[in-house]
Amino acid sequence: MYPLVRFLEPPGSGAQGGKITVKRAEIPVGAFKDIVVNNTPAIIINVPDKGFIALSKVCTHLGCLVEYDKPGKRLLCPCHAGVYSLTGNVLSGPPPKPLQKYLVKVEGEDIVIG
Amino acid sequence: MTGKIKNWLEIRIGLDELVRTQLTEYRVPRGINIFYTLGIVALAAFISQVVTGFFLLIYYIPDTEHAFGSVQDIMSKVPFGWLFRLMHAVGSNLMVAVVIFHMLSVFFMGSYKKPREMTWISGAFMLLMTLAFCLSGYLLPWSQLSYWATTIVTSIPTAFPYAGEFVTRMMRGGETVSGITLNRFFALHVTLLPLLLILFIGIHLFLVRRIGISAPPFGKAAEKKKTWIAFAHEDHPDGHAFYPYFVQKEMYVLMAYFALMFFIISFLPTLFFPEDANTPADQFKTPAHIKPEWYFLAAYQMLKLIPNKLLGVSIQMALMVVFVLWPFFDTKEEENILQRPPLLAVFLLSLITWVGLTIWGKYS
Repeated sequence: MYPLVRFLEPPGSGAQGGKITVKRAEIPVGAFKDIVVNNTPAIIINVPDKGFIALSKVCTHLGCLVEYDKPGKRLLCPCHAGVYSLTGNVLSGPPPKPLQKYLVKVEGEDIVIG
Repeated sequence: MTGKIKNWLEIRIGLDELVRTQLTEYRVPRGINIFYTLGIVALAAFISQVVTGFFLLIYYIPDTEHAFGSVQDIMSKVPFGWLFRLMHAVGSNLMVAVVIFHMLSVFFMGSYKKPREMTWISGAFMLLMTLAFCLSGYLLPWSQLSYWATTIVTSIPTAFPYAGEFVTRMMRGGETVSGITLNRFFALHVTLLPLLLILFIGIHLFLVRRIGISAPPFGKAAEKKKTWIAFAHEDHPDGHAFYPYFVQKEMYVLMAYFALMFFIISFLPTLFFPEDANTPADQFKTPAHIKPEWYFLAAYQMLKLIPNKLLGVSIQMALMVVFVLWPFFDTKEEENILQRPPLLAVFLLSLITWVGLTIWGKYS
């Protein structure tokens, strides 16, 4: 059994801890940008009064990608109707935990995520 | 010429005796109805899937760069490729429906009871395998629908702490659904699952012939039911001949099955192909309002309604275990469900709930 499990186990996943940089001017207040952090689809939103927030788009329920609902100021999962706040917290639906958050640093005209 | 071949076989395998004992003198119960033919229809559906699947394999390329294109080529460039692909896709849906109807009729007629517990369990496993076939085959066209349906299903084990993440990674061959997942599902779909299903079909048919066909629990046949204290083959000396009486019934239903398949292929070819099934997979965009196939809609709606992921998945697992082991939950000897109002209520309530959740899931 052990050789079979080892055989099926995927080789080490891709490098973690990668950083990406986005120009600050690309995301005015209320706007967002889809990005990829460590091979994971993510989103950075310029939330009014809160600044830049970067979140993984992978829904913590069953792995679909959430979409930014600008008028509703929330993130929606199209698969099982999970609803998250713009800070990634669960507002309603079946997701068991908040969206993964990424560290955001504003360095001059750049935003560094990850 | 035919006579010579017959004689050649007669000397070697005793053809006449085989035909007499297995077909013309083999008796099926009186009162047998068309629901008894669903087993052979399910077998024919599987054979049709194997044959059309083989033809699709000739042109299909199991690689993320080419999978979607190769399926499009089968549909539009390969002569009659559309026919074999639609037979395979429509056939998979019809096969699930036939197996479900078969299990429902077996349940309704109490044919899972002693001594047929193993027959039920092998049948239940075959239903689960059929669903596994659908699921693994679903990813192969590498469309948006394929990609995201597989993402959802392979995320289900993550509901369980500790081992869940590991199981998901093993199924996917990585953190996300990728080319490695495609290769794993392809191998499962074309080698392991067919072998397993053939093995279970063998076990199932052996049990059916060894124990004998169960008489319907209604009407005159029901009065002769015996108590099982030692093994005995259930004979029906006053029953109908398997051939031609029952075989003819089977042929009618088989023709109806293929007539329905070709009706869908001819007049409703897109019935099982929503728009997302014709869009190449995009791992950075989940389509809006994505829905699973009809047979998973009830499970989908349940997961949507139950606010706790672990609870939702656990309830579904528990229901599956109860379904597979049902003969051990219902051990009363009475086979006629009409004589057992509580069981009839459970049956109808389960069916209505399943249909209700399916419709709700479709239109939610």
